[in-house]
Amino acid sequence: MKSKKYSDALLNLFKKKGFKVKEFENIIESKIIIERSGEIFKKSLLSFEDDNGKNFSLRPDLTISACLDYIKNVKKGVYKYAYFDQAYRRTFGKESLVRNQLGCEIIGSTNLQLNLEIINLIDESLKKITKNKTTIKLNDINIFYSLVDSLKLPLRWRLRLKRHFWRPEYFNELILRLSTNSDIQKNVFELDKKSYFKMTKLNKSKTIAGRKISEILDRFQKKIKEPRSNIDGKKVVRIVREFLKINCSFKNAKNELKKFEAKNNLNLKLENFGIFNLQFKNNDTVFSTNIGRNTEYYTGLVFEIYKKSKNLNLASGGRYDNLMQTLGAKTKVPAIGGAINYDNILKL
Amino acid sequence: MSEIIKIGLPSKGRLKDKSLKVFRKSKLFIKDSKRNYLSEINNFNPNEIIFSHAREIIERLADNSLDLGISGYDLLKESLPGIQNNIKVNSRLNFGFAELVVAVPNDWIDVQTIADLEEISFEFKDKNTGKLRIATKYPNLTNEFLLSKGLTQYKIVNSLGSTEMYPFTNQSEIITDITSTGATLKANKLRILKDGGILMSSACILVSKKSLRNKYKKKVIKKLLNKIKKKG
Repeated sequence: MKSKKYSDALLNLFKKKGFKVKEFENIIESKIIIERSGEIFKKSLLSFEDDNGKNFSLRPDLTISACLDYIKNVKKGVYKYAYFDQAYRRTFGKESLVRNQLGCEIIGSTNLQLNLEIINLIDESLKKITKNKTTIKLNDINIFYSLVDSLKLPLRWRLRLKRHFWRPEYFNELILRLSTNSDIQKNVFELDKKSYFKMTKLNKSKTIAGRKISEILDRFQKKIKEPRSNIDGKKVVRIVREFLKINCSFKNAKNELKKFEAKNNLNLKLENFGIFNLQFKNNDTVFSTNIGRNTEYYTGLVFEIYKKSKNLNLASGGRYDNLMQTLGAKTKVPAIGGAINYDNILKL
Repeated sequence: MSEIIKIGLPSKGRLKDKSLKVFRKSKLFIKDSKRNYLSEINNFNPNEIIFSHAREIIERLADNSLDLGISGYDLLKESLPGIQNNIKVNSRLNFGFAELVVAVPNDWIDVQTIADLEEISFEFKDKNTGKLRIATKYPNLTNEFLLSKGLTQYKIVNSLGSTEMYPFTNQSEIITDITSTGATLKANKLRILKDGGILMSSACILVSKKSLRNKYKKKVIKKLLNKIKKKG
């Protein structure tokens, strides 16, 4: 019953701040997720086919359900969702297929104050119902993107580092490869060069397995024009690693980043980041460049809230301004949300 | 108590011939089985040999309708975790060598690594022509490998055969397939990516874990494996 007590209390606090408690459809058409997000999501869907061969899935995540609800029913303006319900995912025997998810989302606004509103609301609510002190950890993923843009790197490597920031394990493999310059194989490359000259004589609009010859030749040229030395790679990797270790009080964050900029002779364009102007009610707020790296769809501000004494994660969330379009919205619809780590709250 | 030990062997091709040879060399004589799917070892404890499809042997070991069998390591690793958890790999055999690989058309000269492929997958996404399609008979191993290498924007096309022709018949853009010498891939104008090796496979002796929990069966299986180990 402890579970019900907490969820009711949290939802009531959200309701008081203008959030509407919603229930979502249990079943969604799988192609909405698969066509737009690829096999990585398909792997975790609990899917089945109807008599017509159409594939459906149990809802895998309630943030996605809220987005789909907005696209179908709300369509425009700002909408504040709150929910407590079950989501279903394949876990390959590691955890239960059913997860309780409690969270809130504000869809339809880029207003910086909403970032503050959602973090303060979750933090205050957690403190109220658990009677525990909390620590907020913050980051803005765009600061990392700004760092990557300021490094001397070929475009394809910049894109790679940005695309895989959210997968720390693979990201580490990538930067190892970056420091060893191992993505061009010399003997194969010489053979390919011969093919290149042959292919330049062919009809450029001819397609080979879905790609025009002109596209293949363009990319080949770009690749050989962007060589990089081992020294550059090693230097870049050192800078990236140093950046990802920045962890300081939120009040000192801008200064720490400026010191890092000066030391490495970079320009992170910090004046573009609104995160530094936010005023939190909780004085125990930390800035860490290494958080928000577990979810693909975050696009800007990310946060995590911990029980102060035990470093136990109680909530996390962030801004996801591209997800709505990925899921089928016709225009860009900004959004921010947070999920309560319900299992950990029950441990308190 | 003497129970019948059920042994699954591949029902056709080189895998069948070489599996039978393993038993013959170990002086375990299997009755002529040319026209029958059932047979037995003449000079061993009560047993039954069941000739099945290599994929089926793995499923039957998992549900314990077989006690021991010979099949491909690739097929075991492709099966679901729930199946793999019920099977023990006793030993890898010295035949049936093959590698599951990622192959792209020869003329994709700008693609040498999975990282290149990852960029191409985003090109397909950005062109809005749908996802990069990958034809394979091994969707689980392919997914596991590609996702671990950072490739996420693709779609699996399940293939039942002749996978090598898929990229040239607009059924997929690239493939993953099993190859032993690479000759078939080469003949079909495909090449293996530098870091495109997914799994090295060979035939192996597999044992149902449930059978190992039965005292009598465990003893007989051990006896059989010892004979094979000594001479096989």
